[in-house]
Order: sequence, then structure tokens, then C-alpha cells
Amino acid sequence: MGKAYLVLMGILLCSKLYESASNSLWRWKCNQSAGACTRVSGDVDATLYPSLETCRLVCGTAGGLWPQPTVGTVLSDGLFQFSLSSLKFEFASEDNDVTTYLKEIADLFNKTLSSISASNCSNTDNTVTISIVVLTNNMDLNWKTDEGYNLEILTAGKENSVKISANTIFGARHALETVSQLIELFSNNNGEVCHVIVDEAKISDAPNYNHRGLLLDTARNFLSISSIKKHVDGMAHSKLNVLHWHITDSQSFPLELPTLPNMTKYGAYSDSKIYHPTDIAELISYAKLRGVRIIIEIDAPSHAGNGWQWGPDAGLGDLSVCINQQPWRSFCIQPPCGQLNPVNSNLYKVLKDLYSDVINMLPKGEVFHMGGDEVYIPCWNSTPEIIAYLGDKPRTTETFLDLWSDYQAQALEAFDSAVGNTNTPIILWTSHLTEVSVIEKYLSKTRYVIQTWVPAADTLPQNLLDLGYQIIASTKDTWYLDHGFWGNTVYHNWRVVYNNKIPTASGTLGGEVCMWGELVDDSSVESRVWPRAAAAAERLWSNPKTNADQAERRFYRHRERLVSRGINAEALTPRWCYQNEGEC
Amino acid sequence: MLLTKRHERMKPGEFKRVLFLFSLCCVLFFVYLYWQQSTSIDTSRIIYSYRHTLSKQKKTHPPQWTWQCINQRCERRHIKGAIPVVSLSTCSMLCGSTQLWPQPTGPVTLGSRAVTFNHQQLELETAASEPARSLLQQSFMAFNSNVISLVQSKDYLERSTDIKRLVVRVNIAQHNVVKLKLDTSESYTLVVKPKDDEVIANITAKTFFGARHGLETLSQLIWWDDYDKTGMLKILKSASVKDNPIFPYRGLMIDTARNYMSVESIRRVLDGMAASKLNVFHWHITDSQSFPLVSYRVPQLAKTGAYGPDMIYTPEDVRALVEFARIRGIRVILEVDTPAHAGNGWTWGPQEGLGELAVCVNERPWSLYCGEPPCGQLNPENVNVYDILEKIYRDLLELTEERELFHIGGDEVNLECWAQHLQKSTTIMNYTDLHDLWGDFTLKALKRLEAANNGNKVPLVIMWSSNLSKRPYVNKYLDKNNIVVQSWGASQWPDTPDLIADGYRVILSHVDAWYLDCGFGRWRETGEAACDPYRPWQTVYNHRPWQQLHLNKRQILGGEACLWSEQFDESSLDARLWPRAAAFAERVWSDPQLDTTTFTIQEDVYTRLNTHRDRMISRGLGAEALWPTWCVQNPGMCL
Repeated sequence: MGKAYLVLMGILLCSKLYESASNSLWRWKCNQSAGACTRVSGDVDATLYPSLETCRLVCGTAGGLWPQPTVGTVLSDGLFQFSLSSLKFEFASEDNDVTTYLKEIADLFNKTLSSISASNCSNTDNTVTISIVVLTNNMDLNWKTDEGYNLEILTAGKENSVKISANTIFGARHALETVSQLIELFSNNNGEVCHVIVDEAKISDAPNYNHRGLLLDTARNFLSISSIKKHVDGMAHSKLNVLHWHITDSQSFPLELPTLPNMTKYGAYSDSKIYHPTDIAELISYAKLRGVRIIIEIDAPSHAGNGWQWGPDAGLGDLSVCINQQPWRSFCIQPPCGQLNPVNSNLYKVLKDLYSDVINMLPKGEVFHMGGDEVYIPCWNSTPEIIAYLGDKPRTTETFLDLWSDYQAQALEAFDSAVGNTNTPIILWTSHLTEVSVIEKYLSKTRYVIQTWVPAADTLPQNLLDLGYQIIASTKDTWYLDHGFWGNTVYHNWRVVYNNKIPTASGTLGGEVCMWGELVDDSSVESRVWPRAAAAAERLWSNPKTNADQAERRFYRHRERLVSRGINAEALTPRWCYQNEGEC
Repeated sequence: MLLTKRHERMKPGEFKRVLFLFSLCCVLFFVYLYWQQSTSIDTSRIIYSYRHTLSKQKKTHPPQWTWQCINQRCERRHIKGAIPVVSLSTCSMLCGSTQLWPQPTGPVTLGSRAVTFNHQQLELETAASEPARSLLQQSFMAFNSNVISLVQSKDYLERSTDIKRLVVRVNIAQHNVVKLKLDTSESYTLVVKPKDDEVIANITAKTFFGARHGLETLSQLIWWDDYDKTGMLKILKSASVKDNPIFPYRGLMIDTARNYMSVESIRRVLDGMAASKLNVFHWHITDSQSFPLVSYRVPQLAKTGAYGPDMIYTPEDVRALVEFARIRGIRVILEVDTPAHAGNGWTWGPQEGLGELAVCVNERPWSLYCGEPPCGQLNPENVNVYDILEKIYRDLLELTEERELFHIGGDEVNLECWAQHLQKSTTIMNYTDLHDLWGDFTLKALKRLEAANNGNKVPLVIMWSSNLSKRPYVNKYLDKNNIVVQSWGASQWPDTPDLIADGYRVILSHVDAWYLDCGFGRWRETGEAACDPYRPWQTVYNHRPWQQLHLNKRQILGGEACLWSEQFDESSLDARLWPRAAAFAERVWSDPQLDTTTFTIQEDVYTRLNTHRDRMISRGLGAEALWPTWCVQNPGMCL
């Protein structure tokens, strides 16, 4: 079957295309044993592909798929030509919500494919039918959601059928993403551009980790909603499923809260740099359609300054202390300073209001990130109100850690009373409170999930797992995407990102790459994140035993795919290396 | 009246400069009166219509911050009660710093008051005659676009303004100078002053190129005040600036061979250069990876060497860019690197009966025959190679119309490649040291360049530093009266001091400071990262080799920042370049003092560079953020 189409393509090549001098000089040959597409010139051969992209679809065990499927992948080397207008969807589900979701992702699928083509294809004889079966009507995306799917493509005559089955809509969405990566554009002998799909395939797939995240920081520099949507698009194309939104910090508080308007009034950079609740709602549904959940982080008690200045004017006292204090080096590790005031009981009332506003924006039961990193003791230790509160207690580190954990306990209480139950998982960064020797004293393992941000060589993640904590790994010296541009940090290129292996014990929910925002805003954040976040995506989805060298061809292809889908992903290599697989 | 200035802005020693400026202004004033007379008959006016895409962001809240100028620094305050409401942009323009980038080298006096205007009130008046006149008019159009790019609300045209006209009067002394050369004057004087219900901006320059820089400076004295009702354009009511660059060669190199960049993206590069007063665009247009330049005389090169049929630069593209650049005070140098860095695009020789034009092309293992894959080096013993070179040179000279400077490449020749491939030939037997083969190739190429230039020597031929530019070869093969060496080795290497000691003129591109591509790790599975770490803008700015290495400045034509494209393409071009290339621009335009013990950068530099970054953003360049917005809004508080 496949060979017939290849022969057809060979014939096409020597006709019009050659004269019009489009890519005519080069054709690509797949060496299946090496899994490499090779650029060749000159004679026309029936086993050649007209473009690297079509060759890459079928060459090697996982073709051009990113991330590579985990359970099983069989791809034929034949291609089936069709017009997008002859592609139909069939949904077997009875459930209304499920069917609505499937219709929406089908539209999105069409949009994604048509956006990369100037399709004038007149081939309407060939048809493609994608039928989707979803076995449950579970609409929630969380750490327990089954995102696996089975996918089968068969061709009989002029009919190509794609059969997808999944336990949840999210599995079905991932399956469609995979199908979109089995389709390419193809210039035929009529001077038309049509689509081609791999004519036969069988894929069974499920992720290794259920938490596959990207952290965006919109507090150091504001990111527009359209920029955030671009990241969600990139995540969808790479099967990442958590957008960890570090939405506030000591620099700014751009999240508008209906009951606490002062937070943005005093905390936003300007009236146009604000996220309104409607923006958040829109973004959550935008993300859900792309298989991504949004986890909000309101970092506290440190990293909280601008936005919190209004306490005294409101008669509530200082809600935060050391705000914008100079010289900043004495009061924080990065300007501007600011740390919540744990001894002001009004703070917890305000926190309850804050949490309840945030909870109202999120899906029911969604986990919440309370931050909890980098408390700087000299700030509290220089605040008269806090010193007075401590009274006779020796002002040792332990005293301040106790104070901090008291804060954490009361903040949790405020959260629980806002949400009305005590079940919501809370994520916290590793800190002095999470050190192996003290964590059990301060933080309950049933309530808290710990996000580790230590270097790869550090044993903390494993130690926390041994103690029975659940963790999310953000390996600092490989998955911090801001590194390489400040201090002594080193840039982690995609190979380093890819090669980072995180613990596999069941307590590891997954990992996140982190895009701290000090040196990026809308103008460069896309190219700083992409395609490197996609390298982590394969680590988290597929967790292959192999390293980046084995993934290079597919990854180069994925970078081009991201660009063609409108994401400003950075180039990885001279284009020559992309066109000449394995030669660099 | 002209000198309404704010004393608190004066620094010690400035008084002398102000006096000087005062006398200068008197002279200028008389010149101006005289010139006013003479131009009243021949006054050209150009008014451009409104064209600008407005941001879609709608305001929903009143502003919450105001800025107050306290001790030459804008301090952010929450708007409470009856505090006057001042936007950051307006506060910055009227407080302490000049907001100009690069900082002018002559005296600068800025008034403390602003007036509102709209872009329809902009008029150009000039007595300049052709050919400078048309160039100036086009340059004024670019200036107009820059002003309009600031506008964030179209409603502002309906508002009344403080003035009726903003007249830009340009006086150019040498009307015939329309090609930039190393000795072309780029100096200008800009005087802004109010007159009745007008503001007059007088730009006086010897040449069009000076006048263009004056227009750029003028555009930097104009800003958008977001807080003035629906927003308003403002200009300083009075100002005077006298300016002249320290170095005549202020270059930026972009490599479009490792990865292709669209013509549109190159236009953005030129816009950024113009904003920063850089004046040489060195276009490394081919390399061993690809040959995207379509040559009239040798079309086979791009046909076989381009990455794809749409990844080419046609002669029309290049000519249009050269003109686009000239209007912005920039000249274009096209580099077709040889004899190394030439592979793909040179493989068609045997088919056309011309023999192997290049050897080692795509040879494996690459590490034996070149610095990075794919390999390729011209075949020095094939006479056809020199014929082709002459044709290419002819094309390049015609396309750029640049006949003072020419770049012939000449870096990183791998002698092992030649040794292996020319083993059996008689030519190679004649050389005990293959550097001599390389030297002879260079001499032959230079002859062909002369022939391509109708028998005239191109006065200054630039070559990358290499083994050939080292002793003893340098004195044997490179004529110090003709060859300029672009020194790209680390500043600690002996290359630069040696060349200067031997009497060569140099252009500095030290890899440890001015290579903007560094810092992204190794892009190949094997081999070293080329040049980590990343050079932050502070490193770029603080590189002052003539001071650090005690070099004779007279032999330094200038500097060039380089952006090689192995690890980026146009999707991150802007962010890779800006604002770092602008930091470089101030080094070579103004050459500010450098404290070599602390390497402290003054607060004023942070503030001005940040304003310049925002300026580039409004002009449509994706320049990178310098730091958190909080630091922008709170000047001096993050240092």
C-alpha cells in the first residue's frame, strides 16, 4: 500500500515541481534502520520523499512525533493524500459535555492544520474519518486523570480511517495532537498543496508523570493574555498539562481580586497590566480545551510587597513589612523587598478574602500553590512590631522558623475556611521549612506537596520521597529557563533540559520547567521558553532511558512544528543540520 | 531664552561647557537668521498622514501611580489626594537624565518644560539641494514614522495642542555627500526653541549623515505622555545638543547563512541600528552551510546553496536594503567569506566542467576538516575559482555601491583540508608551509577584487583575524596600507596589540565582549560550547579595549558587534540583538569613561538604556527586557 504512494510521489517529482524549482533540487530518503532522512539530489527514485517533513513523518520508530509514545508505536512508511475538506469526525459518546468538548477539539484540530497550509487541494475523492470513543464522562483534569489513549490508522482504497479510544476527553485530546503530528503538507503534481497522513499506524500511549508543568512568572514583568495563550498552545503541542502561574511577587500584584481591589490598585504596574477575573476564566477554559490545567501561586509570606501597602490606610496595620525598603540588600535577596507580617492578625482575615476570591476563579477542588520560598529573616528581625511580638524569645533562626510555620498554619486555616473543607492539596516550594530534619515538624505530608528546586545532585527530592512526601521536581540546574543571563548561572540548552531525569518513585507527581520573569517580557519570553520546555515535556511524558542524541531529529522537527503553529521557538542549530539529519 | 536650563542638572565642570555652548548658540543664531532669509523662497514642506496601528488595550481604571522628580530621580508615588499626576515618561524626560542614546559627546542642555503637539504639525524645511535633499526627505519620513510609533491613542488628534507647528529646519553644508565614508562628517548640532505658537528644531550638519543623526536625536526628545488626558505627544520646549561620534566605524554583523533571516527582519535590524546611530551593517551573507545570495553572474551558487527556494536574497532585495540603510545613515558591507566557510553552493563545478570549486564539502568526520559542520573550503589550485570570485566581487560591488570598504572574509582556514585533498597535486608540492598557499590565495583574490573594481584598488579591504594576520605571515601577505584586520580573538590574546604594533588598522570585535551569539551552550552533540557564557549588556558596554590594553586609538577604525546565527533565527533575532547592540553603540559613539577597578555602571546609563529599549519596542523591535518593570518604575532602586 505504502509503496504505491511512494511510487506516485516519485512520478510527481519529476514533473512540474522540478521545473518550478521549488525544493526540486533536494529529495529525502529514509534509512529505516538508522531512522534518518537523508538529503539527496539528482536522479528521481520511487522511494524518495519530496520534503524532509514528509520523510520525517514515517522515518524511525517514532517518526516525527513529540513526545514519543510510550506503550507502542507502529508506523507504516506510506502516505495517504487528502484534502482537509474531506476530513470528517465521528463521536461515539452520548454525553453532552463530552461531545461538546470533542467537537471543540475537532475544530481546533482543523484550525491547527489549516493554519499551516495554503490549501487549494482539489483531491476530494480520498476521505479521512476520525472517530473518537471516550469511555468515561470525567471532565476533570487532575493528578488522577487518565490521559492515555489508543490510536489506529487504516487505509482501504480511498478511505482512510483514524480510530481513537481513550478513557477521558484529555486522552482523546492528546490522541488528536498525535494525529496532527502524523499529517504534513505535500505539493502534488497539479501545483496544489494537499495534506498527507501516515496511511497505517498503531499507537498506544500514556504519560509517565501526571504533573507536566511550565511555570510562568507574570509579576517581575507582566505578560499579556495573548502571550500566555501562546504558551498554552506550545504546551498542548508538547502534551504538557500544568501551567503553574506565579502570578504575584514583591514587584507587583497584577491579579484583580473582587473583594480586595486595593491589591491591584497598589500592586499593578499600571491599569492596563492587570488580570481581571474574566481573563482568568477565559484562560482556564482556553487551557482546558488544550489539555492544560492552571495552578495559581500566590507566593507568601516572602515575595509579597507591592500590592500590600494599603493596610495602615485601611486601619489594618502593616500587612506586609520591609516593602520597597532600601538598602534592599539588608532586607531581601532581590529588590524590591517585602514580606508578609505574620504577627498581624488582620493579615489572616485579608488572606481568607484573597483565597476565597482566587478559589472562586478556579475549578472546584483545584490545588493551590502557596509559594513559601526564600523567607529572609533579617527583614522580620528588623521589624519592631515583630521583635516586640517575640518578646523574650531568643531571636534565633529556629524562633523565626517557628514564626514562619505559625504563619503557614494560619494561612492554611484561612484557605480551608475559605474553601469550606480541608482536602485541597497545597503546593509549597522547598525552603528552610522543608529540610529533611524539620519538615515533619512543620508540614503535614497529607496536605502539602513539595516542589523541589534544588540542583540535580542534591538528594533532597529523594529524601522527601523517603519520608513519604509527594514532590514536583524543578531541577534548578537544568530546568530553570532563566539561567544563563544573570550572575554565575549557566544556560541550560535543550539537551541539558532533556537529559534531566527526575525520581521515578510513585510520590513524584512530575516536574516543571520554570520561566522566572526578571529578564523577559512579551518580547522574548516565547523564544526563551520554547522549544526548551518541549524537551522537558518528553522527559515527563515518555521518560525515555535514552538521551538527547537519540531524540534530536524528532526534536528539530518539533521546533519547526512549533514555529509553523505560530510559536516563536528559538532555532537550535544551523538549518543545514536540520536538513541533513545526523551530520552535525 | 534659548538657554533656559535647570541648574540642578548641571554637574561640576559643566559651566564651562555651557558658556561655550552659549557663545556657540549665538553664532548659530546669526547663522540661523542668515539662513532663514536665504531659505524663505525655497521651503519644502512635507506632511505625512496618520498611519499607525494602535494597541488594542482599553483603559478601564484611572492611573494609580505618579512620578515626582526628587534629586534628579523620578520617584514613584501612589496617587492620593491632590498630588500632581505625572507620567513616568514625562517625569523621566524632565528629570536628571537626558534620555538620549547614545549619549551625545558635545554639550547638551535640555529645557525643563514640555509642550504638546501632534504629528500632523510636523514640517520639514530645508534648503538642501540634490542629491542630499531627496535622501533627507526620506530620512524625515523615517523620523515621522518613529514619532508616530509613539502614539497610543488616535483620539489625540482631536485634542488642542500647545503649539501649531513643529518645524524641523535642516541645514546641510555639503549637498554632494550622499555616500558614507570613514572621513564623512557625522556631526550635527540640534537646537530646539519655541517661537510664538511654534517650536522650531534647527539641525545643522556638514552632511546628510550628520543631519540624519540630528533627526534621530530630535525623535528622542519626543515622547508619549499617557497621562495627559487620552495621551499626548510631547516635545521639550527648548534643547540644544552638539554631537559627534568618537569612532567612524560602528558596525553590526549579522550572519544569515547558518540560519536564514527574512528581508523584513533585516529591515528591523537596520531600524534598530539607526535608533542607536550604528553606521555599518556587515552582512555575513554566505557560509559553508548555505549560500542564499542570488548572484547575477553566478546564479548556480544560490540555486544549489540556498536552504530552499524561498530562503534567498535576490539582487533586488539587497539593493532595496542598501537604500533602506542609506536613508538611515548606514552603509552595507556584504561578506562572501572565502576561502574557508564556503561549501554548500560550490558543488556544481564538475557538472559544468569547471572541476572541484570547493573541497572537503560536507566531509566527515567534520572535526578533522573544519571548525563546525558542514565543512567546505575553496579549491586554491582551480583557476576557475578565481574567475568566479571576480564575478561575485563584481556583483557585490554593484549591489552595495560600496567602494571604500570591502570584506573578503578570510577566517578559519583549515590547512588539513587542503593537505588531504590536494595530496597528489603538483601545486601542493611547492609549499612546505601551507600558510603560503593560503597567502597566495589571498593575494590572487585581492587581484580579482581589484579587477572587479575596474582596475582600482578598494582602499580598505577588511579581513577577519586569523593565522594569516599573525606574524610572520601578516607582514608577508597583508599590505598594511590596504588591509584592515577585524580582530575577533579574545581581548587577552596578543592579536590586537601585535597588529597595532605592526602598524595595521583594526576593527575590534573581541569575542569575549562583542560576540552576541555566545552563551547558549553547545548545539552539537559533540564538541565544545563555542563561546559561553552569555555577554550581558553590562559586559558589552564595559568593554573598552583601547583603555584596557593601552592601544593606539588612531589605528582603531572602530568596533563591530557580531551575531552568528547557529543558534537562533529570526524568531529570536530582535531579542538577541537589542538592547545589547545598543549598549555597544554607545561605547563606539560616545566612548564613556570606564572605571576599571569597580566596573560600576552609573544609574543614568540604566535609565537611558531602559528608555531606549522602550523606544525600540514602540518602533516594533522585540528588544529584551533589562530587568523587572518595578525597576523601570523605580529608577535607581534596583542597583
